[in-house]
Amino acid sequence: MERETVKKKLAERFGDKVRIAERSPKRVYVYADNDIWVDLASFVFNDLDARFDTGVGIDDRDGVEVMFFFPFDREKYYLTIKTFARKPKPELDSISPVIPGAKWIEREIYEMFEVNFRGHPDLRPVLRSDTRPADFYPHRREVKTGLESSRVKLDGQDRADEVAGRPPKGQNP
Amino acid sequence: MVKKIPIGPFHPILEEPEFFELHVDGERVVDIDMTIGWSHRGIELLSESKTWDQVPFLVERVCGICSASHPFAYVKAVEDLLQVEVPKRAQYIRVITAELERLHSHLLWTGLAGHFLGYNTVFMWCWKYREPLLDILEAVTGNRNHYAMYRIGGVRRDIPFEEYGNIRKLLDFLWTKNDMLTNAILDDPVIHARTKGVGIFDTKQCRLYGALGPTARAGGYDIDARRDHPIDAYGELDFKVIVCQNGDVFDKAVVRQLENFEAIKIIRQCLDRLEEMGPMKDESELLLEIGEVPPGEGIGVYEAPRGEVLHYVRSNGKNMPMRHKVRAPSFNNILTNEASVPGNSIADAGLITAAVDPCYSCTERVGRVDARTGERYVLTEGDLIRLSQEKTEQIRRQLGAE
Repeated sequence: MERETVKKKLAERFGDKVRIAERSPKRVYVYADNDIWVDLASFVFNDLDARFDTGVGIDDRDGVEVMFFFPFDREKYYLTIKTFARKPKPELDSISPVIPGAKWIEREIYEMFEVNFRGHPDLRPVLRSDTRPADFYPHRREVKTGLESSRVKLDGQDRADEVAGRPPKGQNP
Repeated sequence: MVKKIPIGPFHPILEEPEFFELHVDGERVVDIDMTIGWSHRGIELLSESKTWDQVPFLVERVCGICSASHPFAYVKAVEDLLQVEVPKRAQYIRVITAELERLHSHLLWTGLAGHFLGYNTVFMWCWKYREPLLDILEAVTGNRNHYAMYRIGGVRRDIPFEEYGNIRKLLDFLWTKNDMLTNAILDDPVIHARTKGVGIFDTKQCRLYGALGPTARAGGYDIDARRDHPIDAYGELDFKVIVCQNGDVFDKAVVRQLENFEAIKIIRQCLDRLEEMGPMKDESELLLEIGEVPPGEGIGVYEAPRGEVLHYVRSNGKNMPMRHKVRAPSFNNILTNEASVPGNSIADAGLITAAVDPCYSCTERVGRVDARTGERYVLTEGDLIRLSQEKTEQIRRQLGAE
């Protein structure tokens, strides 16, 4: 479906609940509220006949930005729908009942960012091993910052000392 | 009585660990539960601590086979963010490397499928024909795999002018051999009987499950990122998108075999254009100078041998990606087993799960658990291959074939 038609139909159906932005001839972004999220995904997939591709989560200070990609292959552009799941308990309705292909990517976003997809048929972590702690969400900012500081600490001279088995600087052997 | 049969997490036929739990009633599979993530390496997180120019080296190690497709999609994502177009020569070199990779990946799958079906000659042939292909890749890029060709703004090295003749010779050789393999598959009544109607996945299901690549095209779902979202030189090249209608294992094999011809055509066209351009005069034909990466986001898609690879990058203006998402095609395709395996026999289940060409891995065992009594039967991976080969043998006898 042509871009202009898609934009018109989205505006007709959702009015000012969505904000449409075009970054380039090949990319259209639609920002939506949490409450119309599933309706929007379902409308784009079923009524506008887009293909479902995948999703991405991005952690931010106040919440997790979740986006799903819906390419329009004949017209050669990508429509991305975005929403924001607010912290401290990021939650969204699941689109898996409408699009079964989204099952695993929602499980992955849950596992990496702790976004709880309400109504998901089977919301278990998809990638993590059984031995990883249950409350460990590796893509969360606080976890990443923790990793950064441990890397910095083990950098340079300290790291060399550790490898060589020497005591760290400033400590007597 | 429903029994559960676990397959995995390591499987000797293909390359990546997956675990399938088949719920079987007699010989028939009634349900399947899949677990992935057995070798989760945290590449997305790792990539966020690498500079923009280091990431291609990392992402080409996402998969040993797709070591051109992942960096291709990544550099296109960053170029989408920057809104730049790379020099023509670089575009053709990128396409040639990626299509050579497609040829060797499809040959590898055909060989493995042959082995699984009990056609070990096909397995040996494919390995034999794949070898000169890897030699050419080594001559062109310096490596049989992990080519390190792709760079934001272009490629890292030129294809030496004297190699063009060798590549053309190889393509002629592969064309005849691929022709022979394709005819062998299309004409063999045993392969027809063994793979037709097995693991059917139709167009509607493909759309619902987001199937990609040959898995989708075999089911009549006409998508190909090279045509639909053309990157670099693909927009000006002439090639066909191979689509079959039945969605069974046979069609998946046919799609891959016929795609090899298209890949050869694409490489020939690129070589023609490169020859018209003549030998490289200076480095600017290979690489566009890229400075800072401004804040923004970009999507890069490329049709890898297994389906569409998607890379998403977001920049906050620093020298590293702030977020880098990698979606390999197997992530969508493996999920399709949920719908295509139930209803088939155990001997076919291994074939169907392998027919999506998942990066699905290698080493050992199949266990069999009786769900009611908890009784456990442990079969080796060899047993699974034996089951499959025995079924082929049985069909062969029924058909009276040699």
